[in-house]
Amino acid sequence: MLTDESKLIANQSIVLREESDDWAVLFDPETSHVYGLNPISVYIWRCLDGKNTIADIVRKLGEKCKDMPDDAMDYVKQFLSDLVEKGYAGYAV
Amino acid sequence: MKVIKSPRAIDIDITNECNLRCKYCYHFTGPGDVQEDIPTKEWLRFFEELGRCAVMNVCIGGGEPFFRKDLKELIDGVVKNRMRFSLLSNGTLITDEIASYIASTRRCDRIQVSIDGGSPETHDQSRGKGNFHRAVEGINVLLRHQIPVASRVTINRHNVRDLEQIASFLLDDIGLQSFSCNSAGPMGLCRQNREEMELTVEDRQAAMESLLGLNRKYDGRITAQAGPLADAREWRMMEEARREGREQMPDRGFLRGCGGIMNNMAVRADGVMTPCTQMSHIELGRINRDDLIEVWQRHPELTRLRERRAILLSTFEFCKGCVYMPYCTGNCPALAYTSLKDDNHPSPDSCLKRFLEAGGKIPE
Repeated sequence: MLTDESKLIANQSIVLREESDDWAVLFDPETSHVYGLNPISVYIWRCLDGKNTIADIVRKLGEKCKDMPDDAMDYVKQFLSDLVEKGYAGYAV
Repeated sequence: MKVIKSPRAIDIDITNECNLRCKYCYHFTGPGDVQEDIPTKEWLRFFEELGRCAVMNVCIGGGEPFFRKDLKELIDGVVKNRMRFSLLSNGTLITDEIASYIASTRRCDRIQVSIDGGSPETHDQSRGKGNFHRAVEGINVLLRHQIPVASRVTINRHNVRDLEQIASFLLDDIGLQSFSCNSAGPMGLCRQNREEMELTVEDRQAAMESLLGLNRKYDGRITAQAGPLADAREWRMMEEARREGREQMPDRGFLRGCGGIMNNMAVRADGVMTPCTQMSHIELGRINRDDLIEVWQRHPELTRLRERRAILLSTFEFCKGCVYMPYCTGNCPALAYTSLKDDNHPSPDSCLKRFLEAGGKIPE
């Protein structure tokens, strides 16, 4: 279960492929699946270095983006849960 | 014009060598026939660049890729750089050992084996004696190792009346999920064998009707991006639009027949980058010397080919008076170049107006 203090690390076998206009996909060469990312989720993906907590990531997003909604943390956790479920990210130890 | 950051896929001629000389082969004697292979380390270094550029797929052709003794090492390079691969093969050199290795990578999307007949009598006419059995054995080896197998049938004058037998052989006897088809085109070795290999108008007509019927029988398990089946579908759609009196179809009425250059690039066996394997005469740079992304985004020839999509068909004398112009894409620039030495022109080979003028009919 993700908490504000959870630290996640991106699975290094997953490829971040930037397309255009800051959008991207995550490509899993093992399964050939692709997962679309909007510019915000690309930024979040790049923060998954095993050092940033989820709270850190949301704070950094707040500094970077205008008009961040109050429930942004919920959305970020939902996105990250999805990545963990798919095996695209894991818990840093 | 927006261009994605890097190609999604690369088609590579991993070797210029092949154990066959099929009579319609577009490669040999064409501009891709460079009579030079590059060493393993050059390809491996290039695969590292592809990995850095987040290319997802490498389609390995040639020549005959299984001819290369370092094929395992090369595939390792693709896998190590987080990509998937497919192979285009004549099927005759596939051993249990290499198939076992390929299966173990879990990165192979498919191996396409060319089959041109439901029996040796038709297949071997264009591909050489004994090669039907060898190709079928190759397919069986792949299937034993649970590697996805695709098959490509190149329709020519020898097999055009045997399409039903071919379909039954591939889809019923071997049990492939599907096969794709195209036709012998005026490229490479086919230029020396045109009369023997290239379809006449009557042949094309027969092939279109046969394939449409077979595709209905086999529930869509026959695919095509070029050749009689693709033409039949395209031309029926254009005729329907004409009958309905539609002013224009979206994205039609321009030279928009080629979308490949928006997503893919190719590399010849000598390491020269080209827009696609059918346009090997356009040299964009050399691997490991020229930056892939720089070439992809800024090479003037690629830009020119992409801007082709803004050229109205109405600007061509060739298209004057054609009622199908608002529904047409002008088809493949490589075919246009082959016939006319001009890739900024509609392809005469895929022109519905010309087909009808030559006595052809759009299948019902």
